[in-house]
Amino acid sequence: MLKAARNSSILLLSGCFIALSVSMFTEILSWILILVLCAFVMRLTLYFEWHKSLPKVRTLNLLALLSGLALAWFSFQLGLLLSMVNLLVMASALKLMLLRNQRDFLQLVATQVFLTACGFIFEQSIAYSLFYTAICLLLLLSLAVYFAPGLQWRTLSKKTAIMILQAAPIAVVLFLVLPKLGPLWQMPSQRGTETGLSDTVTPGDIAELSRSAKLAFRATFEGALPQPQERYWRAVVMEHFDGKTWQTHPTRVAARRQYLNANAEFTPDVSGRSYRYQVIAEPTSQRYLFALDVAIPDGSRSNRQIWQDHSYQLFSRDILHSTFVYNVRSFPETALDDTLFSLERRLNLQRPDKGNPRTREWISELRQQFPVDAEFIRAVQRFFVEQDFRYTLQPETMQENPVDQFLFDKQAGFCAHYASAMAYALRLGGIPARMVAGYQGGEVDNDGYISVYQYDAHAWIEAWTEQRGWVRYDPTALVAPNRVMFGLQNVLSEEDSELVGEPLSLARLSAFPLFNQLRLLLADIDYAWSRWFLGFDQQSQRDMLRELLGELSVQRLMWLSVGTLLGIMALLALFFLPRWQRDTRPREVKAYETALMLLSKHGIERTAHIPPETFSKEVSRLCSAGVAATFARLTRLYINTQYRNGSSAVHERDAKTLLSDLRRQLKQQAS
Amino acid sequence: MQKKINASIDAICRHVIGKQEQVTLAFSCLLANGHLLIEDLPGMGKTTLSHALANVLGLQFSRIQFTSDLLPADMLGVNIFDSNEQAFKFHPGPIFNQLVLADEINRASPKTQSALLEAMEEKQVSLDGQTHSLPSPFFVIGTQNPMHQSGTYPLPESQLDRFLMRIQLGYPDWQAEKLMLSSAQSKTEKALSAVMQLSEFSQAQQAAAQIHSSDAVIDYILRLVTYSRESGKFPNPLSPRASKALLQASRAWAYIHGRDYLVPEDVQAVLPAVAEHRLRSSLTDLHGQGSLSHQLLEAVDPLAA
Repeated sequence: MLKAARNSSILLLSGCFIALSVSMFTEILSWILILVLCAFVMRLTLYFEWHKSLPKVRTLNLLALLSGLALAWFSFQLGLLLSMVNLLVMASALKLMLLRNQRDFLQLVATQVFLTACGFIFEQSIAYSLFYTAICLLLLLSLAVYFAPGLQWRTLSKKTAIMILQAAPIAVVLFLVLPKLGPLWQMPSQRGTETGLSDTVTPGDIAELSRSAKLAFRATFEGALPQPQERYWRAVVMEHFDGKTWQTHPTRVAARRQYLNANAEFTPDVSGRSYRYQVIAEPTSQRYLFALDVAIPDGSRSNRQIWQDHSYQLFSRDILHSTFVYNVRSFPETALDDTLFSLERRLNLQRPDKGNPRTREWISELRQQFPVDAEFIRAVQRFFVEQDFRYTLQPETMQENPVDQFLFDKQAGFCAHYASAMAYALRLGGIPARMVAGYQGGEVDNDGYISVYQYDAHAWIEAWTEQRGWVRYDPTALVAPNRVMFGLQNVLSEEDSELVGEPLSLARLSAFPLFNQLRLLLADIDYAWSRWFLGFDQQSQRDMLRELLGELSVQRLMWLSVGTLLGIMALLALFFLPRWQRDTRPREVKAYETALMLLSKHGIERTAHIPPETFSKEVSRLCSAGVAATFARLTRLYINTQYRNGSSAVHERDAKTLLSDLRRQLKQQAS
Repeated sequence: MQKKINASIDAICRHVIGKQEQVTLAFSCLLANGHLLIEDLPGMGKTTLSHALANVLGLQFSRIQFTSDLLPADMLGVNIFDSNEQAFKFHPGPIFNQLVLADEINRASPKTQSALLEAMEEKQVSLDGQTHSLPSPFFVIGTQNPMHQSGTYPLPESQLDRFLMRIQLGYPDWQAEKLMLSSAQSKTEKALSAVMQLSEFSQAQQAAAQIHSSDAVIDYILRLVTYSRESGKFPNPLSPRASKALLQASRAWAYIHGRDYLVPEDVQAVLPAVAEHRLRSSLTDLHGQGSLSHQLLEAVDPLAA
């Protein structure tokens, strides 16, 4: 029976547990969190002796049954992985309420370590990694406190630290050498709704576009960086417009799937100068990737992982649940495709038959005036320049005929408004046009990489003419040229900039040089983290090993992993061997120790300084006659071998049968 | 032999009522061939116990009352010129007896104390270049009064550990004292007659010294003394002499209890008597914290491998 009052090790463990659970609050059901809180408070009251007794096992069994049923009900919505994590947290909370003996304690510590590992499924950022490392250290410390309660905290921390340092080389070797396996489970996908681009855009519905300062991706360039006006990062192409909303055309989605099944990938013909760069994309729970036009995957690995379709969009073959690293090569001078298939023409001329009458009227007049495509496009652009358009993140909503309202009444909006209006206008004029969503700009850091944040999200259009093929037009640039040249911050009014980023984000303070430097430093650290640590996947591992050991066959690789494991096992064996060897004690001694253990399980604990004979008398006072007699015989055997130099061979069978007798009698006594 | 020993102890117990444990300890001290220190207030039966021990074993007994003006010669004896023989003749002092009761040992001057302790250790007396052997067996039972310390010379630690054991008698309980009072007249008059022959006693001593002590028990004793040295909780850790004394005393205790092997219980039974006066720094802080030897006992597991 474990002492609950003033037991720092249990309190420390409870603290770790609640911190872990709270860190996963988006994944854990709220009622399970409440259960965790209850368990924690229970341990707290026991620690400070405000309350003395543990809850009854029967009560907890009922609670466990009810929680199990509730979890089973919720698990239909959660999916396998999340229900398993929830189950683990729930079970830990119940176990914490029940915690009575050493086995419970050790079990709970092991579970917490496992939960920490589960935490990494959901969060891998540097801050979380530090947090989880701290939790791990505290768990180890609680173990140390448990096994050496008398020692001072400083001694214990020092001992724990030394042990961790001893284990660190093993961890490094395991990290570098063991094969990296993909996840074996279905990742939950409801996350990521607030981050990243969505694949539908309805400009009229949005009254306030608040934008987060979260990182979208980073690109590391070999050599020169692209000019600011070249930094159009294509992500999603939207071709379907119903008068209000732009989205990916269903026909396009179907076509994409067909090509994918036929394994017929689109490969653009590229020429001219190029940028080579590596992109580290943050998880989006989507498939689309980011690249400058016209991009092709660089290197065999990226080639395998990336799929390109006819709208020059890049996709990952897997959903981006975690940081994804890929290499691309972009050719800014290559024109987009100049042939237009009938399918594409049909998709990109599609427009609703009704709605927006004023725009229709204006375009039909304008088109009569300028029958040549290029001139017509110029005229539309001129309209944006000549009229009094304004860039704002707080446009008024435009529900009825949104394009009409935007072009002729409000004349204020953000990139999606401009792109939507212009694409629609061109389509009305018979020119194939489409909306492209992605990012524009990005922040150049000292070390030659560009960080692109969510607030850099942008929308522009592409229009097709016979002479030039697909060409990018950015109506926003006509209205607010600084948006493209110098980034979003430079075109925002005072109240608009309130909408960018989180209230506490350092991006808001970029006007102060000190804070800006600090922000850039943090970005650098984060970059190094995702590049060298999270980016260390199967391929990087293989590259590293190849560099160290030369060409690797699958067999050699396997031997390497197996060899590493064996090496570590040998190290552990070296550590444990003395303990194994020591157990060559006589059978009676072992039997006696087992008997002591059995008794302590039934609540009869030997105080450390009580010798066997005396303890046997104590047992005869506390236990049933049968137990006492059997234990007395075991004690006699022990004394004979330990103290009397008695021959042990005679009693060999005896000790075993006595032990099983003792087990049976103890059970009888308990019932 | 066992019967004789039990009979002797019973006989003493009839004389010193209600002190079974202390009597047994005192007896095992003699059985282990060690000197005994009894520490208690006046009137607790220190002298009675010594007398009884001497009588039961048939030992020659003498009592030396220590005072501050007692000289070594008063105790050891002197060379006196014999005019008849024209030579010095040695007149042995009261120490030349098999059992010497050194009463209130802390009242004597350090010089006299050292003379006694030297005699205890060497079992002989050197005087004017002549060596005189003390009788065999030779036991000293010293008594000390822990109170009223003014004008006394408490034994220094280095000399305290010449005594194998130190016991305290303490007040008798209600029943025992009532029994004592009601039977006072009839019993005290009767002198105890010897129960054991001296030869039998020395046989018992030899047998006790040969009790089997297993590795497990010796390891336990070693763990005890090591703990007293390494834990830092004891101002005076136990010396190798102390561990030897512990083993000797445990053997005697086991022998008295009719076993031919040692168990940890034996060690635990004698430990307070053997170790307490060695662990304390001096008589003066006797009234400090609880018993040090019990702290030591409770800190060490007899089973731990």
